[in-house]
Amino acid sequence: MKNLTMLLAWVLLLGAWALTPGSRTWAQERPVFRVKVDMVVLTFTVTDSKGRYVNGLKPSDFRILEDGIVQKIATFAEGNRPAVQVLADGSTRPLIGSPGGSEDPKGLEGRADALVGTNVFILFDTSNYMYRGFVYASDAIADFIRGLDRADSVAVYTFSRNLSRAAPLTRDRNEAILGLRKAVAGDDAALYNALLLCLRDAAKVPGRKVIVVFSNGPDNASMVAPDDVRAVAEDEGIPIYVISTNEVNKDPISSAVFRRITARTGGRAYFAKTWQKQVEAFESVREDLGNSYTVTYYPAPNPNEGFRKITVEIVSDVAKKYRIRARPGYRPRPAF
Amino acid sequence: MRRIRLVVLGVLASLHPLAGQDVVARARELERRGEAAEARQLLRRAAENAPHDAAVLSAYAEFLDRYRDPAAREVYDKLLGLLNRSDQRSARAATARRLVLLSLMAGDRAGAARYLEAYRAAGGGEWPAGVRLETPPAAEGPYIEIPGPFESFARMAAVSQETPPGELLAALARNVVTNGYQASSGNEALEPTEYMKLLVRYISQARELERFAGAEKVIRVESCESPQAGELLRILGYRMRGACGSEVVLETVNATRAFLTIDSGFPVAELEQALRTNRPFVYEFKPTRVPILYGADYWLGAREKGGGDFIDAYLADPALCRLYLGLSKLDRETADELRKAVPVQRLRAFAHVLDFYGGMFEIRNGRALVPGGARAERAWEELVGVSPSKGAEFFERLISKDDGWLASFFDALARIHGPVKDYLTEPERMKRFYMAVRGRVTSPGPARPVFRANTEMLLLTHRLRLDPDGRPHIPGNLEIWKNLFIKHPHGKYDGRLTRLASTWTQPDDLIEALFALCRKAVENEPLKIFMALSDINRYRSKPLEAATVDRLARKYRDLGAQYSIFNDAPTVSDKTILQFVDATESIDRIRNSALRADTAGTMQALVGIWQILCRQGAIPASEADAALAGLLAPFAEINDAKELFDAGRNGVALLLKAAGVPADQRPQDRLLDLLAGTAQPSDPDAHARLVEEMTRILEAQKLISLNTLFELADHLEALGRGEKLNTALINRIASRIAELQLPRTFLSSVERNAFAFGYWTERHIEAQRRLNLQAAIERAGTDAGRLAEIRGSLAPLLRDTLVGLNYAHYAPPGAQVLYTNPQFVRSHDFLGMQGTNQTWRATDVFGSGWPSNAGGRLVGSLSGLAYALAEAEQNFMVPSREQALIWGDLVPQMILSAKIPRWWNVSPSQMHWVGLHMRYAESLVAEASLDSELRRRVLESLSRLALPARVRRVASALEVFDVREAWNSITPLEAFALAREILESKTGPENLFAAEIRRMAAEAPDRINYQVISRAFGTPKPTLTNSYQPELLYLRTLPTLMGYSSRIMAESWESNTLYWAALADEMHLPPAQLNLLIPEWTRQTVERIFATHLEDWPAVLRSLRNVGEDIRLRARKEMLVDQKASLE
Repeated sequence: MKNLTMLLAWVLLLGAWALTPGSRTWAQERPVFRVKVDMVVLTFTVTDSKGRYVNGLKPSDFRILEDGIVQKIATFAEGNRPAVQVLADGSTRPLIGSPGGSEDPKGLEGRADALVGTNVFILFDTSNYMYRGFVYASDAIADFIRGLDRADSVAVYTFSRNLSRAAPLTRDRNEAILGLRKAVAGDDAALYNALLLCLRDAAKVPGRKVIVVFSNGPDNASMVAPDDVRAVAEDEGIPIYVISTNEVNKDPISSAVFRRITARTGGRAYFAKTWQKQVEAFESVREDLGNSYTVTYYPAPNPNEGFRKITVEIVSDVAKKYRIRARPGYRPRPAF
Repeated sequence: MRRIRLVVLGVLASLHPLAGQDVVARARELERRGEAAEARQLLRRAAENAPHDAAVLSAYAEFLDRYRDPAAREVYDKLLGLLNRSDQRSARAATARRLVLLSLMAGDRAGAARYLEAYRAAGGGEWPAGVRLETPPAAEGPYIEIPGPFESFARMAAVSQETPPGELLAALARNVVTNGYQASSGNEALEPTEYMKLLVRYISQARELERFAGAEKVIRVESCESPQAGELLRILGYRMRGACGSEVVLETVNATRAFLTIDSGFPVAELEQALRTNRPFVYEFKPTRVPILYGADYWLGAREKGGGDFIDAYLADPALCRLYLGLSKLDRETADELRKAVPVQRLRAFAHVLDFYGGMFEIRNGRALVPGGARAERAWEELVGVSPSKGAEFFERLISKDDGWLASFFDALARIHGPVKDYLTEPERMKRFYMAVRGRVTSPGPARPVFRANTEMLLLTHRLRLDPDGRPHIPGNLEIWKNLFIKHPHGKYDGRLTRLASTWTQPDDLIEALFALCRKAVENEPLKIFMALSDINRYRSKPLEAATVDRLARKYRDLGAQYSIFNDAPTVSDKTILQFVDATESIDRIRNSALRADTAGTMQALVGIWQILCRQGAIPASEADAALAGLLAPFAEINDAKELFDAGRNGVALLLKAAGVPADQRPQDRLLDLLAGTAQPSDPDAHARLVEEMTRILEAQKLISLNTLFELADHLEALGRGEKLNTALINRIASRIAELQLPRTFLSSVERNAFAFGYWTERHIEAQRRLNLQAAIERAGTDAGRLAEIRGSLAPLLRDTLVGLNYAHYAPPGAQVLYTNPQFVRSHDFLGMQGTNQTWRATDVFGSGWPSNAGGRLVGSLSGLAYALAEAEQNFMVPSREQALIWGDLVPQMILSAKIPRWWNVSPSQMHWVGLHMRYAESLVAEASLDSELRRRVLESLSRLALPARVRRVASALEVFDVREAWNSITPLEAFALAREILESKTGPENLFAAEIRRMAAEAPDRINYQVISRAFGTPKPTLTNSYQPELLYLRTLPTLMGYSSRIMAESWESNTLYWAALADEMHLPPAQLNLLIPEWTRQTVERIFATHLEDWPAVLRSLRNVGEDIRLRARKEMLVDQKASLE
């Protein structure tokens, strides 16, 4: 892996050299494009045949494959517990408190504190479509924020035609609720535009992150298609949860989109028309966050520059009936 | 790199101190070479090393002054101290004089008064002795009270919270008029909209809260258990869940009330927190005092039914609001005269006319000022029926005449100046043109709709051109226009005009007909044709020939959107223009729709690149015509995809050749270089970044490079000669094709067919996906014919890459759509939906907002690509304020103005020249506060671009020495124009700015003049001038207009680039950096606009200045770091 990193560094350096002042000539070439291989963060849940979460599994219980190539897990975490480093022999040791951090996994993403808790981005639809249920939705989101694990961080974004960053990512619940309560009702709904911008922000944050969308579905202003936004979420490894305040059958297109987008990113869609159902949906999202596993790995050499299929397998025989919910794969980003 | 140079320079300066005079000379030399940062460093060092050297201090202070550095005051002050100890009285007076002005600009009146004393003590006697600079006591005018805090009311009323309190009622009035009421379904009465219902409910809730707050006007809840908590929560629509303490949570109990609570910004989260921690909650809840024109009684007197609070009456009466809005647009003197002379009920009846067309009314000394001045007064008297000498009576009659047509004519003429105004206000002609506008039936008037309906008249008066003989410019000749009206290609324009056309003998006859058409509610095609062809001629040294004009006029409906292309290369010949028309007709005849789309796309993409390269000067004017003719030639007859591919490839070769690129270069790389700006950029790093941004976009769109496509085409030819198959090359293309995914939709095929949406574009992508090159080549073997067919199969791929290069060039900052939707370029629909023909129409954004589709896409030609891309991107802007308005029409134009011009060939001197003009203007404004004669001239100059009400505001501010307020009311364009006018008159103050401006212009007259500056720092105006050429037209900001919303207003806003240029000059940035910085600064400006309505350009100005101030602060911090580094 280190060799690959060095190679990439050289490619970048050569590209930069080629563009320095004075070296420009007509014959000069554009810098070569290569695939940039970042650390992959993979979050998934394991449930039994009755849909109950399965907890207590260990790194050695899992096998992660990318296009069929077995990957070496770098870190492992369950729920909001601190991540542990997975050593070559399969044993683990705590990341937090490791002296000097010199043996931590490489890079910023590998910092111990980056893997504690979840960065939850809430995307709240304040368009005209939500006008009637605006205040109840606000209450339900406030409850959700209060109920998040202490280790989690939360950001509150709202949208109608444009996105508004009501509260930046914070561990201070009051600050987040303050931002939430400042939201104003808007006009058109550009859900997928806003979701894309939210994903772009989330992608910049190291560690585990999810997006929880609270909307009733219709979109009358987005320029980007749900599937393109889904692809970004998939590539960035960010599960999307959607709580729709609409009934499934009221808007079958939006419902189908929500199902597809959430399933493909490892999240879930809830159709919760009543306030009580919305509270239950938020509770379920919280449970999901608390009962999921997060592993990180640096992908093994793979010539595939397109979509790489991820498979999570449980090694032990007992667990063969378990169901795993994870994103199906990702596309490595092009690097310059 | 620059920082290192500065540090080295600093070290050298400290090691080898130069004599004072040498330093000054050296610094001037550096500055002249465009190395202002180095000059600054040198002077600073010298001033530190020789603090008693007056020459050095003076040079340093003047240097800082020229670059608008606030530190100039401090250095001048030191200099004054030094001079005080000498006998140089005149130098002392000059320094003190400058300090007076700088202090006024900084808003420091006490400092200004102090320096004024010093100035007089040194013998300065320029300003009258009676000038006193104390702050006058603020005179409090009438006001009303609105329940609750300003911010809450503003949120609920959809008014920007940055609105000054004095303008709140006018802003509210506009919202009430446009959004407050709608036609009722049952009867003729208006019924309140949801906006109005919520606002009224909010006021009711605010009153309850005021009562709760008691006499102290403070909402106080001592603890969670206190009885006030329950009562407050009831008013707010909430209740507590959980026991008092950390468990307590507020939840909605009354959704209507809770909505108002949240939407008005009541601090419900803080209340909840106080209850949870059992601490007192204290919130000041005072009513808002809002200044009101003439007092509430005046307005309440206008109502048919009296009584109630002013705010309730105001909200309930849109006509009253409109009157308030109309009167608030007049300057105070004029409004006062009208108010005194005309009963309020009568004014109210014509409030809509006053609102739209009253902004240019002016009464001075009881006389109405009319367009055309004294010469036209008699004609106005005849038209209105009252002499302009009876000011108020004249305007009263004007607004009541002909349903507003005469007022709108007055407005259209009053807004312009110069020879066209003289031509149009020639008394007989003016009356004749008005009678044409008025027609026989005046209803409906132009002030009835939501937007002003005299759009075409404004366009005609603003864009009419006169020939050197003083007659209007008529493209071609009068016969062509007569024939157009008589034998019109698409049906009659107007029966009466068609009959009259045969009698036309003079250009005035045609202009009269165009005025007559201005009153039509439908699209005014002849005027548009006239303007488009006049604009083509405006840029050409030789006007279009009559036959060309005739052909273009008749093809306008189909091809009008394409005509702006010719304005980027005024040397293009009539023959080539006609060749373009022929090519479009030939393409339209292609029966195979896929081939037709590919041919149109390829041709338009090549012409688009040609247009960009001509605009940027990469293709010299002498080569432009031949290049266009050459690339168009094969498109005269395209029979199959092979020919199309060859035509595309030939076009690329011609473009590169015309730009001087040797034939052996790789086409894609060189085209990217050229599209980024210039072949030999002055700042290679900045250039490389632009190229990289474009490359990223092409990668995100998964487009195949021209290099690969042409290499493959050559290889196919070689295979025919028996060469060996290059598998690596084939695989490279195959893998890229394999990445193409069809856009996934959630519609069934039946539904999709029913909508017919995306049918053609999906076919285009599907055809590419089916392309199996390897198999096709294997099947073809060495058969040259079959291999040529495979070359033809590359034509759609070539089209996409060429189209992609256009997209990449115009990509707005952020370019979220281009980075996210990998099919965006390929989805460009050159045909349009079935049954329509969009091929040559302006680019349009289509299909946004359907979760079920494959995302928005662009439809039509590439002629409006820059605008359409900006339009698609505007909803990805993230406003900094929760309620800010991202403003359709204005924002795309702002983005377009930041993307189309490039500044590679701009010199630091040109940028500094703009900066000096701004500085000179600011200085003039400051001096005008002390010198009444100069004030008169400044205001006179300002009145050519600003509306009378604003000129009056500036005058009032200057009268009380509030220079900052005056300066903040002036736009950068107005400031630049003011400096220019005073300089050209050679009667203004001769200070260091004027001297430097003249010196620079004299030293390089061909590079530093107003024409060059117009080209460098102007804005493109595709709607107003049919051209993407950046230029300054010195336009008065136009209002929103029917049919164009705020697009024309946005194009008339010419201030941004001038402002950025002056800012970059202050920070000593190299002009090439503007290519990267202006798009980014523009994005920040858009995100910080906090506007109330579509004509709220003061909000744009505020945002521009706020962003500029932030940039300045950051740059000064960096300069301090540089200084520190050089010291160390």
